[in-house]
Amino acid sequence: MKSIVRFAAATTLMAGISLAAMAASLAPAAAAPRGGTLVYGRYADSLFLDPVLNDANVDIWILSNLYDTLLLPTDDGKDVQPGLATAWSLSPDGKAVTLTLREGAKFSDGSPITADDVKWSLDRARDPKNGIWSFLVASVGSVDIKDPKTVVLNLKNPDPAIIHALTVFNTAILPEKVFEAQPGATDADKAKAFGEHPVGSGAFMLQSWSHGSEMTLVKNPYYWRMGDDGKPLPYLDGIKFEVIPDDATRILKVQSGELDASEFVPFSRVEELKADDKLNMELFPSTKVTYGNLNVRPKLKNGSDNPLSSEKVRLALNYAADKDAIIAIVTHGVGTPMSSFMSAATPLHVGQGTWFPVDVDKAKELMKEAGFEKGFSFSCLVIAGNVDEIGIATALQQMWAPIGVTLNIEQVDNATLESRYRDGDFSMRLGYWTDDIADPNEITSYFAYSPTIESQHSGWKNEEADKLFEQSQQELDPKKRADEYARIQELYKSGPIIALYEAPYPVVLKKDVKGFLQIPLGNNIFSGTYIQK
Amino acid sequence: MLNAGFVIRRLLQVIPTFIFILVVTFLIVRLLPGDPLSATAGDRVTDAQVAQSKAELGLDQPVLVQFVDFLRRVATGDLGRSYVVRIPVWSLIGQRLPPTLLLSAMATAMAILLAVPLAFVSALRRDRAADMVIRGAFQVGLSMPVFYIGLVLLTVFSAQLQWFPVGGYGDNWPDRIYHLLLPAFTLAVSLAAVLMRNLRSAIVDVLNAEYVDFARAKGLMPRVILGRHVLRNALISTVALLGPMVGTMLGGAVITESVFAIPGVGRLMIDSIYGRDYPVIQGLTMALAVVVSLIFLATDLLQAALDPRVAK
Repeated sequence: MKSIVRFAAATTLMAGISLAAMAASLAPAAAAPRGGTLVYGRYADSLFLDPVLNDANVDIWILSNLYDTLLLPTDDGKDVQPGLATAWSLSPDGKAVTLTLREGAKFSDGSPITADDVKWSLDRARDPKNGIWSFLVASVGSVDIKDPKTVVLNLKNPDPAIIHALTVFNTAILPEKVFEAQPGATDADKAKAFGEHPVGSGAFMLQSWSHGSEMTLVKNPYYWRMGDDGKPLPYLDGIKFEVIPDDATRILKVQSGELDASEFVPFSRVEELKADDKLNMELFPSTKVTYGNLNVRPKLKNGSDNPLSSEKVRLALNYAADKDAIIAIVTHGVGTPMSSFMSAATPLHVGQGTWFPVDVDKAKELMKEAGFEKGFSFSCLVIAGNVDEIGIATALQQMWAPIGVTLNIEQVDNATLESRYRDGDFSMRLGYWTDDIADPNEITSYFAYSPTIESQHSGWKNEEADKLFEQSQQELDPKKRADEYARIQELYKSGPIIALYEAPYPVVLKKDVKGFLQIPLGNNIFSGTYIQK
Repeated sequence: MLNAGFVIRRLLQVIPTFIFILVVTFLIVRLLPGDPLSATAGDRVTDAQVAQSKAELGLDQPVLVQFVDFLRRVATGDLGRSYVVRIPVWSLIGQRLPPTLLLSAMATAMAILLAVPLAFVSALRRDRAADMVIRGAFQVGLSMPVFYIGLVLLTVFSAQLQWFPVGGYGDNWPDRIYHLLLPAFTLAVSLAAVLMRNLRSAIVDVLNAEYVDFARAKGLMPRVILGRHVLRNALISTVALLGPMVGTMLGGAVITESVFAIPGVGRLMIDSIYGRDYPVIQGLTMALAVVVSLIFLATDLLQAALDPRVAK
């Protein structure tokens, strides 16, 4: 009885707090003004605006403004909230997801979003022939329309990540009729035409696009989400993305007022821009990790023996690398050491502080145990002219010298680097990763699960890790799944990476730009952005 | 004046050049290490997915088969689609060529407007203070990297004085010309320096020529001597220089376009090479070959007009 009273009291209190919080968020000091076009500087243009067949961050980070998914990630990127579905439930056996579609939702061309569109979009997204993201919804066996407002996903096996997968861009809902009416014989051909004139149900729609130069989005008059003033979002009339590859020029344009905001501020400029009282230098928390990627096969492509195949050597290299120094030199202090192979913002991440705190004596000891007391040399591929990569490699070169390791820096262009990496023709390269889904399965599939891409083409294969990953993909008990991921992270300590740092997304905005958000998964969210007049 | 035979002969010469460029570009892009899919698909693509895309694009075929297919398509005017942005190459070039051409034309005009009067002043005041100052200034202009000149101009004239926009490409013609003034000047600096030096020494040579002495002896006005005899003769060698210089300038445009955020072909070419976007590299090389051939043709014709002996 007592516990019931306590529970009731706690619930009332919680409800009170959340109501107060909701009231606070619903009634800001002044309603956000409407109108205006935001001019946003990008370092590179989008390439292809089809949510299924794209494969680059420059696309992914824009897609969520044009298309809507059934569920949406929350602002912290960790949870889900209603999107084109207002309610969702997982069957007790974890093998069916029932989704209730939003009443009256429309595409930006004014046509209603039907259950048929939902089924067609999800079927297209899960087709393994379509693009690289189909694995996120690979567990879906069929999509059934129960009634015009209810769609059921029948799963081949229980999938703990399926709810989060419905927030990812590749499960965006597209109008089947518009897509199928595009010229072309194949899905890929139709996608090319559709990608030039996309129709979705996101807050904005594409008005014009001059490749490599600028893209203009205008507000979608049929967008379903309401603003603080009770009228449909977005507040802005439009967004103009300008492509300005040169960092210095992008920043000058914000300072001169020609841009309202700009992404990819070099870390070296962050302090200076923070000090400018006309600007708002934001560092949005991210899931981005920067690391060294090692080839751990016993033999290198040229047939020579590979010292990096020794676990002890890899540990030694990790212990000898002073992450704080690299963070200070390369990121100008903006960053934190990695505490696992996945970012601290990734769900089920385990770890605190630096994964491998610097310990040169231990590193020397490990080198001795591995039989490399006299050291060895190997090379790191870096993209020619990339200041950050050359900086990291040079720092590592110096840090590894005391343990007898000579690091040669090999500068090549990106295409050469990627093809050598894919072929396993490398010793080390520098890598970056950002999650697209609020679940550890994406990064783990690529980093630690050998069947996907041989653990980032490193050749690392750990049977226990492979087995744990396969289990975790069907594990509905959250505790067990957390344990599986904890163990995978433990196993990966002797894995094929040099863990370096996590870094935020640096975006500089003019002071009067409010409500812009880049979530930890990278998506740029403009639906609640407004310009304070 | 110009004889038709000369023009036709020059036009016909362009054809083998073209075929050569076609073959060489096709082969060179395939000799580059790396392939289009590795370059653009990113780290997450599996080998099976790469193989599937290669098959879709016909990149799994032998090079000879690909080449024949390429020639067949080029013959019908089809340059293919970009592997990266997946739109037809023609439309990409159509979007990106005009800004570069306008930028280059403005830079050339500025360079000529700068170089010609300064070369005269410099030549006529040879070894005096004005000559020293002009030559010194151009020496500096020539030795400064293009991106540095661009950034300095941007910082001073755009960010601080706010006389010009900080890069970009306007929406209508007057606006575009206004946007391109600073970048064109950036490009014009080194071009003007080379032109000026060449023209100056040509003027000095001509001033020492006997026919100028004769003209002076006839009692012609100095203005007439300079305009009719000196400039015309000095320009012949300088015009010949202009063609190759404009070709080089298209190279300089790559950096200028990046610094000033101009959506031109310079940046497109760099992006395409990095992305191993074969159809775009091939199409763009051909388009630029046409442009450069036309410029060479124009300078040849101009030279022939100035000096009829050239057309012989």
